[in-house]
Amino acid sequence: MTFRQFAYNNVVRNRRVYAAFFMASVFSVAVFFLYSMLLFHPSIEDRFLQEIAFVGMGFAEVTLYVFTLFFLFYSMRAFLQARSKEFGILIHLGMAKRQLQRLIFLETMLIGAAAIGVGTFFGFLFSKFFFMIVREIVRLPALPLYIAWEPFALTVGAFLSLFIIIALIAPIFIRTDEVNTLIHEDADSEHTDDFSPVRGYLGLFLLIGSYVFAATTKDSAVIGLIIVLPPIALLATYLFFTDTLPLALQWIRKHKWIYWRRLNLLSVTEGIVRLKENARMFFLVTIVSTVAFMSVGVLASLTSFASQYREVNPLGMTYKSAPGNPDEARHINGLIAELGKEEIDYDLVRFTVMEQQSSTTAHRVTILKASDMNELAMSFNASEVALSEGEAVFLPASQAAARKLKNTVVQTVLEPSDVPVIIRGAYMENLFPAGAHGTNAIILNDIDFEKIVQRPNAKEAFAYTYYAFYVSEWQATKEVGRSIERDLMPLSVSSSFRYDNPGASYSILRMTFSLLLFIGLLLAGVLFLAAGSFIYFRLYTSLDRGRAEYDVLRRLGVTNKEFKKIVNRQLMPQFFFPWGVALLHSAFAFMSLQVIWGALAEISIRKEMLLVLGGFTLLQLVYFYLIRWRYLAHVRAPLS
Amino acid sequence: MNDRPIIELTNITKIYESKVMHRALTQLDFSAKEGEFVAIMGPSGSGKTTLLNIISTVDMPTSGSVVINGVEPETLSDDDLAKFRRQHFGFVFQEINLLQMLTVEENIVLPLTLEGAPVHEMQARVQKVAEALSIDDILNRRPNELSGGQAQRTAIARALIHQPKLILADEPTGNLDSKSARDVLELLTTINEREGTTMVMVTHDPIAASYCDRVLFIKDGEFFNELYRDEHRQTFFQRILNVLSLLGGNVHDLRHM
Repeated sequence: MTFRQFAYNNVVRNRRVYAAFFMASVFSVAVFFLYSMLLFHPSIEDRFLQEIAFVGMGFAEVTLYVFTLFFLFYSMRAFLQARSKEFGILIHLGMAKRQLQRLIFLETMLIGAAAIGVGTFFGFLFSKFFFMIVREIVRLPALPLYIAWEPFALTVGAFLSLFIIIALIAPIFIRTDEVNTLIHEDADSEHTDDFSPVRGYLGLFLLIGSYVFAATTKDSAVIGLIIVLPPIALLATYLFFTDTLPLALQWIRKHKWIYWRRLNLLSVTEGIVRLKENARMFFLVTIVSTVAFMSVGVLASLTSFASQYREVNPLGMTYKSAPGNPDEARHINGLIAELGKEEIDYDLVRFTVMEQQSSTTAHRVTILKASDMNELAMSFNASEVALSEGEAVFLPASQAAARKLKNTVVQTVLEPSDVPVIIRGAYMENLFPAGAHGTNAIILNDIDFEKIVQRPNAKEAFAYTYYAFYVSEWQATKEVGRSIERDLMPLSVSSSFRYDNPGASYSILRMTFSLLLFIGLLLAGVLFLAAGSFIYFRLYTSLDRGRAEYDVLRRLGVTNKEFKKIVNRQLMPQFFFPWGVALLHSAFAFMSLQVIWGALAEISIRKEMLLVLGGFTLLQLVYFYLIRWRYLAHVRAPLS
Repeated sequence: MNDRPIIELTNITKIYESKVMHRALTQLDFSAKEGEFVAIMGPSGSGKTTLLNIISTVDMPTSGSVVINGVEPETLSDDDLAKFRRQHFGFVFQEINLLQMLTVEENIVLPLTLEGAPVHEMQARVQKVAEALSIDDILNRRPNELSGGQAQRTAIARALIHQPKLILADEPTGNLDSKSARDVLELLTTINEREGTTMVMVTHDPIAASYCDRVLFIKDGEFFNELYRDEHRQTFFQRILNVLSLLGGNVHDLRHM
């Protein structure tokens, strides 16, 4: 048996212990590869979308890389500790320290190479499927499978470097100086009382403090909090797991009426041991889960923002033509022809919009004609305006403005036409996109409007022509008017016209957000799987102790039901405590986000938040039962 | 001493069926009267531990009947069986099997917490048992801070705390030095005499066996011999040695040298 064969056999024969480690690595390689495939996809032509894909995927890949590094680092350490007896024997038999390091290096690289190979293979296998999902979600045109060297090179390069780092660092974890303690080391005999009460209380204090600040935050303070709170919360979380929780458990230990009640004795001590082993891991899982919850929650709320896009853009396409626009007739005819060709129903209202100056405020006033307005209102089935001579209503720029102007009455004279008018209240129907006609617009009765138009110098008062296409199936128009957009592109600054197609804009928005959401979900999935695998891995390495305990407890007369309860209480906190804290963290973070978000888009993200958090909890529950099932099966297997 | 048998095993056969079929016990009878202190001896692989596991209802025989304190364990559900064990048995093992993360006191009190006893009662009983076994000064230590003898006394305290009818011991002195072993055995004898607790002990050690009222010898899963205690422990010990020399197959082994 050569040295390499020895390393190979070690891995193959320890495969059950290595399995969780291996699986998580494979999964993360596969997902990384899928991201890379999308990153380098040649047929994402849309430059904007490509940029989003690039940035999003790039960010996801970096996160994935860093997390995998942490995950492998931790599992490797736990794994090597679990094997310390074996290493002790090897050193006893005369293996040099350098040989031991080489052995571990070889083993790690073997696993790494296998994981990279298998992961890339599965990634490639599923990439067609992945593209199909992306296409469905993002509504991209078909994404064909392609073969290029870049995704392979990126994935292999990234993970090879990662495994080399791990393989070089890992041997440091073995303390080779005291052979004897290595052999007789009992992984669980460490003391569980070394924590600092001061840091424990500090953690609790900081945690509650940051929650209170996050919950009570106001508009003005939120920016400052965004900078200050995360580091504080980070520190608080760390202290919470390393000191606050042991402090709490210690408190229980001192109070025998709780501690000695039925199964508490076993559950609490087991909790202390597990916490001691895994505090840092719990911290990591909590932070990563919080970030995952947050990103998915934010992305989900963005999607919902897009779905409320229609409210902000009640019309279909709009075309605003400044005086002297040479392309006006060509563009409008083109749009009508395209709509006809695509068989989309529409109503077209042509507004002639004038501009005057208000005598009272000296502000410019944009003026729309009442009958034009009523024509559009008819398409919407909205209430019409009834104005007689000398009357007008405000046309509010937004719903917030509408509420403000609702009861305003202004008496003014429109200059220079010299038309006296009473502006009474606002037109409450929401027919135009926000701010389509500026912030100071009115609807004027037809008689006075004609007076302005009929004046000799009417040309100067003429502001623009506004074509409003009312399209009920507004999303269908996303391809309409592409040629106009091309006309617009090169001279966008001082263009003589403005074309808006909410159907097209929405589809881009939607694609962007969906893509980001999808990236976020996949990323969260990887992190979630890795965290679960780590818990399983920890359980597996302490399986011998678990079995011995089960044997003792069985003889002491613990029923199956009670044993299940004990295992539940042992596993549940490991699964749900980090997640619970993460839920709490993100709930409070959302609360403060709601302040900015609410001001930004006037939408509530509560529903999305519940959906996301609920979804994750459900997944976690499934994973918990899966692992409990495996663990119980292993523990109850007869002692060998 | 009462004459009613508390343990009655009749015609017990146990066959393990895994990759290799293995017959651990063959048509063995065993009974113990209430208050009796019985040792089971035999070479490795003779089925001693299997027999103890069947008595303790952790294992079921392939055929034959088991009656413990008038109850047939086979008729009980798993959960009832666990509760039955909890109420009737106390265990002392060779590999002591204290739970590492619990202190001495917590280890001792464990069976009572399962019963849901009131805390003040638990504390009173721990105190009493600990004093009787003179481990009351180490109650707050962890198992890894104990000497072998202290650990085994803790295990005995755990076996005694809920005042079981039966104490089952598997090589209780196996890992102890001779002084600690003698202490433990004298302790068990005292408990047996004072509390009238029935004890069944599996052992390799003829000295340990000589503390008992009766020694059962089994070989290859079958009954081999039985000895009753006489007036002097010394002669009893000698008789045990005699049986062991017949039993061990040592003579046969020596012939090949």
